[in-house]
Amino acid sequence: MEYSLFFWSVMGWMVIWGAIGGSLIRHAYFMRDLDVTDARRVGVAVGAATGPFGLIPLYLKTPKLTRVWKIAPWLGVLGLFLLTFALSDPGNVCVSSGSFLTSQIANGLIMGTIYGLMALGLALIFSIIGIVSFSHGEFYMIGGMVVYYVTAVLLPGWNPLLAVMMACALTFCVGALFERAFLTPIYDGRVERPIEYSILVTFGLAFFLQYLVQGLGGANPVKADAFIELPRWRFPEDGSIIATSRANITLFDTIFVSTPRLMAAVVSILALLALIWFLFRTWWGKALRAVAQDRQAAAVTGIDPRIMNMLAFGLGCMLAGLAGAVLVQAFSWLPQTGAIPALRSFVIIVLGGLGSLPGAFIGGIMMGMIEAAGAGCIPDPTRAAAYLPAYGMVVLTLVLLLKPTGLFGRKA
Amino acid sequence: MIRALPNTLGALGVAFLLAFPLLYAAGNYDYVMHLWITAFFYAILASSWALLAGYGGQFSFGRMAFMALGAYSAGLLDNYVVLSSAPTGTCAEFGLFGGWLVFINPTGVSTSAVNCLQAARAAWPEGVSTSRLPLIVSILIGAGVGGGFGWLIGTLVLRLRAAYLALFTVGFSEILRAVISAEVWITRGQAGLPMSPIFPDGITLFGTYFASNAKLPVYYVMLGLFLLTLLVLILLARSRIGLFLRALREDEDAAEALGVDTVKYKRTVFVVTAMIAATAGAVQGHYVGIITPNTLILLQMALVIAMAVIGGLENIVAAAVGAIIISFGLEFLRNDFVILGQSVDMSTWRLVFFGLLLMLTLRFLRNGVIHGGLLWLERRAVGAETVAKRRAGAEGSQ
Repeated sequence: MEYSLFFWSVMGWMVIWGAIGGSLIRHAYFMRDLDVTDARRVGVAVGAATGPFGLIPLYLKTPKLTRVWKIAPWLGVLGLFLLTFALSDPGNVCVSSGSFLTSQIANGLIMGTIYGLMALGLALIFSIIGIVSFSHGEFYMIGGMVVYYVTAVLLPGWNPLLAVMMACALTFCVGALFERAFLTPIYDGRVERPIEYSILVTFGLAFFLQYLVQGLGGANPVKADAFIELPRWRFPEDGSIIATSRANITLFDTIFVSTPRLMAAVVSILALLALIWFLFRTWWGKALRAVAQDRQAAAVTGIDPRIMNMLAFGLGCMLAGLAGAVLVQAFSWLPQTGAIPALRSFVIIVLGGLGSLPGAFIGGIMMGMIEAAGAGCIPDPTRAAAYLPAYGMVVLTLVLLLKPTGLFGRKA
Repeated sequence: MIRALPNTLGALGVAFLLAFPLLYAAGNYDYVMHLWITAFFYAILASSWALLAGYGGQFSFGRMAFMALGAYSAGLLDNYVVLSSAPTGTCAEFGLFGGWLVFINPTGVSTSAVNCLQAARAAWPEGVSTSRLPLIVSILIGAGVGGGFGWLIGTLVLRLRAAYLALFTVGFSEILRAVISAEVWITRGQAGLPMSPIFPDGITLFGTYFASNAKLPVYYVMLGLFLLTLLVLILLARSRIGLFLRALREDEDAAEALGVDTVKYKRTVFVVTAMIAATAGAVQGHYVGIITPNTLILLQMALVIAMAVIGGLENIVAAAVGAIIISFGLEFLRNDFVILGQSVDMSTWRLVFFGLLLMLTLRFLRNGVIHGGLLWLERRAVGAETVAKRRAGAEGSQ
């Protein structure tokens, strides 16, 4: 970084004024007997974005905090951050190369879709059963392992989509069976503290599954072949709009996307559409959403909540398995692969608001963009890659500090 | 008679542990001592986790992260801070009690690079002595670092619901692992940070000299730490804080309504158990002689949880006993065997077995095996007393 002193002093300025703004503005609203629910957050954002220039008028006027007040200062913070970054590191490839930047954004969107899909599973489980599954990453890992063993070992030459379906079926069944065998006591008060019990028992399942897979398949990394290999194709003749090669697609000569990741995103978008259709257009899906809204009222209308619990847990695990199944062609796979995706899914559902399905998906896309920006733009590339899980934790810390209910969360 | 059984057994157990290294005469002395030291280490972690999770209902998956914080703090001090009797002139340094406190510049994993102390040593006259920080200082600083991070995390997440703490601590250990693996220049990454032995020059006890790699002094250090931990935890559990903890575990809103500052007590216990874990980590790091980021993988945390749960989450001593039994069990299940012509890699399958055991214990034996057994004994004792009383009453009325 060329001017790192400048960068860090601006960051320090923003943090200090954010902290001052948070307490000052809340105090102002509190003293004038106004609604203080959003005052602290707005104060932090206005302070970080404008320093004293925005804080003083806000302190004196204390306007009603409308939606504009809640969103615009945060955009200002983001803009100030990006501007500082661009000014302090003009030689950075993110700043100097538009092509690299657009490719990173496209990659972030693609990965974000898959992250969103996986987090959706976790959010679905939380919204129906009210527990956070700590074995989510292991289902992701199993999904990938099934695809690898089916396409590379058991049935080579078959359509890989078949293997993806088998992975979905297996993760669904394992999830549903586990729910029947181990989670039923939390519904009827047979365990004293259901939340804690569910944390521990799903953690135990994660441990069990991880070493079961390692025992069955060994601890060496495996990698599945790409689902499809694109033919060489140019449109128009000089390839200025679309050009494909075996492993890459180039759009407008500027956006480079790797084919396995694109295929993974296409499959997950199809799966997402199928899930939306299932949740909104079928009886089972409507019943699931009904149970999520009001368990007892749903039971009164003849929906068996126990079946819905089982369905929700199975579906949630299946989504994780699906995310793993489509990504196994892009990354190498280990029995320990699940830990970081699981962590990322936790961050996403907290960011989106625990139990909010649209929140989980939007949070996934945001997470994809943040990771792409972090991995591509942080000056030291080896560190940028090593700290991939840390970006999520930074986001998680900020969310917990500023808005523990998440972006779309119901009141906790 | 039955009622006194647990306490009698406990006293006998402590006496046995104190006398064991002196009486043990069978083969593999060092190996058996090593097993005991490791078992005590896990017992410290499991029992402190039992206080936090079983009494307080706070499910933190960060036990290993605090352990690693303590171990790495002590290790970094051990490697990069030296007390010297003369100034080096090249390192960052300042005077302290007539000597000099020297901070060595880290040179990473490279073996050829010369750090400032080595450079200074070449230029020094004879008779300049250097020594590492006293062990107790670096261990205490390690405990302090663990406690400080515990305080920060506690302040951030303890006011939220249970699941947040679990999520955040899982993330925290993952990040710590990433940082330790990535910052090779100071932590030496996967190569591991070497640490000096607990007694670098050996020690003489009752006229017998023990070399720096002897197990017996370390055994007593770890046993002492273990018993001290148990004492602190039991005192804490029996104090007002323990009472408040159990109250807020059962119903946080009710406890708060009755005037218990729930966040404060949760945070106190969180910090205390984090410090215990950090101390144990620092001592264990000095004993093993090297510390790597692999202590932070899921496996280690899962083992601690399995030990506490199988022993009995709501009883500190039961969790510790469970940890000792399981760490021996893990060692004995290590041998591979051949079944139907297939060789079975037990180093993996024993973990599968313990994972299953953890789930089944949670599902069917809520109180764990050992604590459950104690409760059963207690119920039997009460039953026997009641029957005896009734019988006496019936005879008296005739």
